[in-house]
Amino acid sequence: MTAVQPQTDLITLTIDGFEVTVPKGTLVIRAAEQLGIQIPRFCDHPLLSPVGACRQCLVDIEINGRAFPKPQASCTIPVENGMVVKTQLTSEVAHKAQEGVMEFLLVNHPLDCPVCDKGGECPLQNQAMTSGRGESRFEGKKRTFEKPINISSQVLLDRERCILCARCTRFSKEIAGDPFIDMGERGALQQVAIYEKDPFDSYFSGNTVQICPVGALTGSAYRFRSRPFDLVSTPSVCEHCASGCSLRTDVRRNKTLRRLAGNDPEVNEEWNCDKGRWAFQYTMVKDRIATPLIRENGVLREASWPEAIAVAANGLQGKKAGVLVGGRATVEDSYAYAKFARATLGTNDIDFRSRPHSDEERDFLAAHVVGSKVRYSDIDTADHVVLVGFEPEEESPIVFLRIRKQVRKRALSVTAISPWQTRGFKKLQAKYIGVAPGAEGNALAQLSLTNQSVIVVGERLCESAGGLSAVAELARKSGAKIAWVPRRAGERGALEAGAIGNLLPGGRPISDAAARVDVAAAWSIESDSIPTSAGSDSKAIFAAAARGEIKALVIGGVDPFDMHAPDFAGLESAFVLSLELRPSAITERADVVLPVAAVTEKSGSFMSWEGRTRSFEQAVPETPHQSDLYILSLIAEALGKPLGFSTVRGAAKEFGTLANWDGARASFTSHPVANAAQGVTLASWRQLLDNGSLQVNEPNLAGTARKAVARINAQLAAKLGVANGDLVTISTDHGALSLNVELSDLVDDVVWLPRNAVASQSLRMLGVLNGAQVNIRKGL
Amino acid sequence: MASAPKTFDENFLSRLDAIIARYPRSRSAIMPMLHLVQAREGYVTAEGIEVIAQKLDLTTAEVNAVASFYTQYRRTPAGEYHVGVCTNTLCAIMGGDAIFSGLKDHLGIENNERTADGKVSLEHIECNAACDYAPVVMVNWEFFDNQTVESAKTLVDDLRAGKKPAPTRGPNSVPTFKEASEVLAGFNDGRANEGIQAGDPTLLGLKIAKGERK
Ligand code: SF4
Ligand code: SF4
Ligand code: FES
Ligand code: FES
Repeated sequence: MTAVQPQTDLITLTIDGFEVTVPKGTLVIRAAEQLGIQIPRFCDHPLLSPVGACRQCLVDIEINGRAFPKPQASCTIPVENGMVVKTQLTSEVAHKAQEGVMEFLLVNHPLDCPVCDKGGECPLQNQAMTSGRGESRFEGKKRTFEKPINISSQVLLDRERCILCARCTRFSKEIAGDPFIDMGERGALQQVAIYEKDPFDSYFSGNTVQICPVGALTGSAYRFRSRPFDLVSTPSVCEHCASGCSLRTDVRRNKTLRRLAGNDPEVNEEWNCDKGRWAFQYTMVKDRIATPLIRENGVLREASWPEAIAVAANGLQGKKAGVLVGGRATVEDSYAYAKFARATLGTNDIDFRSRPHSDEERDFLAAHVVGSKVRYSDIDTADHVVLVGFEPEEESPIVFLRIRKQVRKRALSVTAISPWQTRGFKKLQAKYIGVAPGAEGNALAQLSLTNQSVIVVGERLCESAGGLSAVAELARKSGAKIAWVPRRAGERGALEAGAIGNLLPGGRPISDAAARVDVAAAWSIESDSIPTSAGSDSKAIFAAAARGEIKALVIGGVDPFDMHAPDFAGLESAFVLSLELRPSAITERADVVLPVAAVTEKSGSFMSWEGRTRSFEQAVPETPHQSDLYILSLIAEALGKPLGFSTVRGAAKEFGTLANWDGARASFTSHPVANAAQGVTLASWRQLLDNGSLQVNEPNLAGTARKAVARINAQLAAKLGVANGDLVTISTDHGALSLNVELSDLVDDVVWLPRNAVASQSLRMLGVLNGAQVNIRKGL
Repeated sequence: MASAPKTFDENFLSRLDAIIARYPRSRSAIMPMLHLVQAREGYVTAEGIEVIAQKLDLTTAEVNAVASFYTQYRRTPAGEYHVGVCTNTLCAIMGGDAIFSGLKDHLGIENNERTADGKVSLEHIECNAACDYAPVVMVNWEFFDNQTVESAKTLVDDLRAGKKPAPTRGPNSVPTFKEASEVLAGFNDGRANEGIQAGDPTLLGLKIAKGERK
């Protein structure tokens, strides 16, 4: 934030007898808000462009003694000097005009309130009470429609409830860039409409349900489930990605019934994506692990907590151990894992990256990401945004919305370095630099940026050797800021908490003696008890366990199939302690399984990709589950090396004292860009809606996911002799998968596959990363 | 997003491109393109909406929004001769209502329906700015002025019989729906100067003002 605010012209006007001074361009309805005067409205929304569709906000306006002949829509008229505005509070004309509009709106509105999801939180209901006549004079027949219609598998439309305010259509076009709904049949039968064959499959469709001022748009999952006044709302933070959305979780009788976007102007504004809104059943699924389990004679059996903790402690006692945290832990939980590894188990073999990763990445994170404070607001002021190894709409939707906002507002220039020109890039009007996966570094080296530019780097760039080095070099040359955007909500927090082999909490390099002394003092342990060399990464930990060098594994929320060719042998031989919500591939091989609380069942915080702390409270009041950190504290206690905290607050407080490190950051040695593989290479990433484990049991949401297809360009299609829609098989030594082709704007000789669709889990099925050579053939 | 349209022939696609080329902003081409689809298909087909969306980089919902607004765009097949009877105030009281119900009975179809032979479709339309010739019947947007129930019945009979009656004003013979749509798409049929342009009643006021008539 700069201290110098740009000069804005100010305008002074009078509203209901009070003077108010506001920046030029302010709408009358907003100026009135400054005085606490609420003019009724439906179509007006501060984040959408004015449209004047509903006419509910009529007021009397006079400028320099000259009155408008008729009441005016205050949501479309900007203030002017000398304007005198009279709202319903001081003008009988305005009041009567508003009553008249309300009466018209209600002419065709059904008396659905008792069965309408919006009842109790409905702007129409509320404003009909405050600004409407008590009785309708309408005696005709109301307009009716078949109700409701599914405009997507997750959004329902009751057309007769719609007051045609165009909030939903404007949101879809202006904010999401997905005008899949528009006003159809304009005239007496005007209605919001999709095109018959193309449903409203926008990743942001849920926002329209939230901003619809009536009950015309409802979510399939929530329809008829509750009345708003029966819900207890808790401000929350989304656990699904690193965008860091503030949310609201609505719970009734201990069950989460819905989630809404929270309003945080600095982060998600008032929006979120459909995954954050509609993927929460995973906490309530039947196969949730309910009690501790211990393995006895080869099979898991239920156990009491004291017994399980004792068995866990016993299994870990005196063994060389590795700790895998997973990318979804809260900051506090990650901090507990980080401390548990060092102070209790005496190892640096800890890693939060349960996905493809590299040493180059580890060093890059320590040198260029940890402690950095690049913000959403840097996108707002950037002269150029470069996207590399990152498809924002799929991999961090609010980053996408923020960039798009600036593209619309001031034609922000965006460059996308990618093997596929996606629809998301087109919506950002990005300059597309097509590169084969692996060659991103070469393209980066060609760019010239300034210190106002932002390089947005996705986590998967680590799969292209030399890519992150090229980012570091470009930033050094130009002064551009680096925004590293991991996919998972817990990764940035885990990095700051030191849940990685080369860093202690606060980004303290493990190799730095002062850093170790610092941490040891805070932890009241001997400073030489912290190992001095960087620990192994996730893959190496598995491999070391397979070789028998690591004899115990502590695994929190990790799906090994998210990693590149995981080595399961170690899981068979080592003692495995798993902290999990639901059974996974780890559970089958674990010796002790301890159930943990989901985010709604505990308090804590995540860090957005910006490194911004996003705290949340427990939303579900009663739960048998405990947070990871509490469980770790019990085990540490049993091992005789206590963590020193057992509550979220305690962990947060202690981490707070270590969170900032003003010593030197780790240094970074550049890696060269690897030579391209021969033949056809693979490009693959995860899409927003896929087979992700937090999306289970959400059929409505899944219905709007992108179809799994294999994407190739026309050149490769011609070589293979395939046409759009034909089946192709992609294979490696590891395995094969078959999908239908969709011809797309890709670079030559690259096939793009969804990384985690039901039918296409490229890591698991093919066992290779981006840039690897694959075989592709027509047919099965 | 737009589903893949059925393959239109190259000639048709290049004419769509020619329309797009007329405008500085491509989306301005949407209306003439819809007319061109009608010129080919006889109404706005799903494939037509899809090909326009694809060419203009719009969503199908956006194209549908336009196609469903203007009544000139038909979403069911129009007859070869689309007959519009003005039933706005002036025409209505001058006989338009009677003509409309007379034609419905005579043709055995309702508003917005088409005769089984595909020759004639019927629609009640709003004022065509021809009130000075009320009641007015339009055939593919050409004027048949000062109609009666009987003259209108004869008109549709002639149309069904394949005679090509001459409009009161406009071209020397009435075009088919497809031909008229082609003109509306901006492809000149060279007949703009045929027939009467402004008739006497239209010019009456002007002439009085100029003192040419009392
Ligand atoms: S569906 Fe809701 S948001 Fe959309 S136009 Fe109707 S009332 Fe407005
Ligand atoms: S954008 Fe990310 S943080 Fe926001 S709701 Fe979606 S998944 Fe959650
Ligand atoms: S709120 Fe002003 S016209 Fe709708
Ligand atoms: S009322 Fe029929 S043309 Fe004007």
